[in-house]
Amino acid sequence: MIGRRIRALLVRVARRFQRSDRERDFSAEMESHLAMHIEDNLRAGMSQEQARREAMMKLGGMEQTKESYRDRSGLPLLETFLRDLRFAFRMLRKNLCFTFVVVFTLAVGIGANTAIFSVLESQLWRPLPFPDSERLVDAHTVLRDNHRQWDVMPNSVYLAWAAQNHQFSSLGAYNYPANRNLAAGGTSERVFVMQLTASVFRTLDVPVERGRNFLPEEEKTGADHVAILSNALWRTRFASDPDIIGKPIRIDGESYVVVGIAPARLRFEFIPEPAIYVPIAMAPPAKLGRGLYVIGRLAAGATAENARLELDGILQRQMQAEGVKSEDVAAVTNLRVTWTQGSARSLYFFAGAILLVLLIACVNNAGLLLARGLARSREFALRATLGASRATLIRQSLAESLLLAFAGGGAGTLLGLWASGAFAAFWSEDALPRNTDTYLDIRVLLFVLGLSIFSSLLMGVLPALFSSRVDVNETLRKGASGLSAGHGQHRTRNLLIAVEVSLALVLLFGAGLFLSSFLREQQAPRGFDAPGALTFRINLRGTKYAQPDQQRLYYRSLTDEIRGLPGVQDVTFGSSIPLSGSGLFNTVAVAGRPLPNKHGTSVFVYAVGPRFFEVLQMRLLAGRNVDSSDSATSPRVAILNRNAVHTLFGSEDPLGKILDFVADERRDVPAEAPVQIVGVAENTQEFGPIETPFDTIYVPFSQHPDSAVNFVVSSNLPRGALVGAIRSAVHSLDKNQVLFDIKTVDQLIGDSMRGSRFNLILVACLAAVALALVSVGIFGTVAYFVQQRTQEFGIRVALGATPVRILRNAISRALFAGALGLLFGVGTSLALGRILGSSLYLVPYEHTGMLYGVSIYDPVSMAAACILLLAVLVLASFIPARRAMRVDPMAALRYE
Amino acid sequence: MGEKKDVWQGTLALMVLKTLQAMGPLHGYGIARRIEQTSGDLLIVNYGTLYPALLKLEQEGYISSEWGVSDNNRKAKYYKLTRAGRKQLNKEERDWEQTTAILARFLAPGEERS
Repeated sequence: MIGRRIRALLVRVARRFQRSDRERDFSAEMESHLAMHIEDNLRAGMSQEQARREAMMKLGGMEQTKESYRDRSGLPLLETFLRDLRFAFRMLRKNLCFTFVVVFTLAVGIGANTAIFSVLESQLWRPLPFPDSERLVDAHTVLRDNHRQWDVMPNSVYLAWAAQNHQFSSLGAYNYPANRNLAAGGTSERVFVMQLTASVFRTLDVPVERGRNFLPEEEKTGADHVAILSNALWRTRFASDPDIIGKPIRIDGESYVVVGIAPARLRFEFIPEPAIYVPIAMAPPAKLGRGLYVIGRLAAGATAENARLELDGILQRQMQAEGVKSEDVAAVTNLRVTWTQGSARSLYFFAGAILLVLLIACVNNAGLLLARGLARSREFALRATLGASRATLIRQSLAESLLLAFAGGGAGTLLGLWASGAFAAFWSEDALPRNTDTYLDIRVLLFVLGLSIFSSLLMGVLPALFSSRVDVNETLRKGASGLSAGHGQHRTRNLLIAVEVSLALVLLFGAGLFLSSFLREQQAPRGFDAPGALTFRINLRGTKYAQPDQQRLYYRSLTDEIRGLPGVQDVTFGSSIPLSGSGLFNTVAVAGRPLPNKHGTSVFVYAVGPRFFEVLQMRLLAGRNVDSSDSATSPRVAILNRNAVHTLFGSEDPLGKILDFVADERRDVPAEAPVQIVGVAENTQEFGPIETPFDTIYVPFSQHPDSAVNFVVSSNLPRGALVGAIRSAVHSLDKNQVLFDIKTVDQLIGDSMRGSRFNLILVACLAAVALALVSVGIFGTVAYFVQQRTQEFGIRVALGATPVRILRNAISRALFAGALGLLFGVGTSLALGRILGSSLYLVPYEHTGMLYGVSIYDPVSMAAACILLLAVLVLASFIPARRAMRVDPMAALRYE
Repeated sequence: MGEKKDVWQGTLALMVLKTLQAMGPLHGYGIARRIEQTSGDLLIVNYGTLYPALLKLEQEGYISSEWGVSDNNRKAKYYKLTRAGRKQLNKEERDWEQTTAILARFLAPGEERS
């Protein structure tokens, strides 16, 4: 039965496109019907006239029959709807200017929403590109008393998990991809190399395409010199050569045998895409710098919570077996969520702000439609007298706003398509969690459709209700000139203004907060400066530089080479430099005192070369500098930053005190000889202004050599020439070494502010759009009000009203509404601030905050936003109101 | 326009199908007359309502139509049963008989059942 109904429906839809044929056909059928009937009647002895009458009566009326036939053959609801749309289209075409303003406003609102929605979709909601990827989880350990902070994951815990779990169908571990030197075919380049267990490929369900996966025995130091190439590397670097399997490549000077090629579809998205995969040496435990990442695929029927309980049990048993007091608990979280939640907050925040803009656009358009409805009230009245029901009038008004919304939606989609690309490009790669393409998929299109319908209702319902409620008599009697808005209409328009103003204030206040946060960030003491200086990084790896002496020698020679270059003023290097975020943590304790906690204090360690403090203009607060007199054999010394002094010594004088480097078995950090504190330095920014201050210590590079360092070179040479000269200096020492991360210090500082600058620009753009919309809305309302009252103003002027009085009369209502909106907006902003406040700020160790050093109730931003909005309000209402002041009483009265 | 009409349309459709089965291809006027005659003139068919019903049956694929020439050499649109229509007629006949049988039992004078 259902099938038959659908068939009938389809036929009906199809038929409506051949309507004239069908009508003719049915007329012919009726004619033949009547003719036959009349013939029969004549045969039965009736007169011609009688026969005809009887046949017609029997039929039940020609027109009624045709009408019900028509209803059955087409779809009456669809017909009416299409008729309404056609009518609406004609009306909109007649008023192109109005249509353009409304559609443009909507397109901006919908376009921005489309863009942010596609970003949300591609970044947060889209499943990771692995089969059944929502069953993938990240397993890690967090501090028992601070679940937000991940702890380092020792190898032994992973091995215990992998051996004892039942809740996972597969568990794998990897290290974060590291930048390493690939040498093959005579050239070398930096590529991302990822260490992983063979089980990672199984866990992700993306098997190795050519060749083979790693073998269990290859996950051991010594046997681990095998590699799987990423498909992209294989294609570009090795020209898809299938014979590469079995051949050696050199990574950081060491030889690896290629055993397999990963499939092209293997993309992680949430970490830098590795070019080469090598096995992780699990046993015997290798030195672990930063701990493992563990991913698992939940077994059928297992839940993340059950898996967590199981892993936690294994973790505690393992810690007990190792005789370590466990400070951690296990955590199991959805893999996609784990990697995206850090950015989710700011993305949702911007989505909210962008939705506000759409709301303002809709409110604005509602005001415009309302005014237009009023201008057409005579037409409505006429149609009502001709028999249009109120429902018909509402339907037609809504058809118009629907059409407008869809035009806006269409234009908005195009705009959004462009904007989402611009967004993603503008957003620095490191600010977005996933390396995905943003595109318009079906969900985004459905979202736009929903948004368009939503906006058409939002902006259409109120005006439709008003314009359909026409008093036929009143309107028609008054005639064209007598058309004026009733009190209800003006009240509604003013209400719309109030709503608009309050929404705009929220955005303006937000922009103010971001601006003052940005300014504060810019002025925040960075603790260092080296205008125009160039930085780059070198990473010596391989057997040639395994010994500390070799590293010391290489970097001393390179420093001398660079210092000797013409145009170079000064040069230094360190295992890390401020804002590069490339430092290492170590654990220290004050000698001869009980540890404040089991592990001592975690500090950031810089191994710095001579003149480090001078070149980077870092301030020494007390004691002496690290210099070239500190050698491998001289007494071991250290400089603490102010923050570390505070943490370790409080208000005590640290100079001369001894610090122990605490061995940390969990991280495989061996104990080192103690150091004596010889100086105190000012704090510097390690990642950017939005961070909790770090405890940092500076030790001489000669006493703590490292394979990788950052150089800082100040010179008056142009950048290109300097880089070229340095590169040849590097190559003259060893042609296999590569410079990377080449940046000026100013770029480094700029990059650290990139996220904040982006936030500011985005919010400021939204606020500017809101401001523009609000001013258009108020301008329109006041202009309309003045036009309506021209006659009244004329009479008032004739009766002796002063221009100021007239002006006040013209703008007082709009201004009052605006002021009310301001008040309401202040309340909304503060309420929103209360809800969002904590989430807008930095959470230590998460780096997710967006605001720096400014209160969510910042009175300066609030006052500035109010004043700016008020100024726009006054200006936007004053310009059209001037017309009221210049009304010529004679002209106004004659206008009747 | 209420439920009454639906019931009527339902039975009208059955009558149309039955008529076409009995008479073979027939035009609208003929169907109307035939229904009137069969009902023994008890049923006054408003001929106009027949056409939307015919259209509906055609849309549902139970009957098909074709222009032809009547006995009196007049152009007329002829309707005939399709295969689906024949099946539907059988089904509806059965349903109808069942319904009337049930109703008949209810309306039969006080028959005791143990």
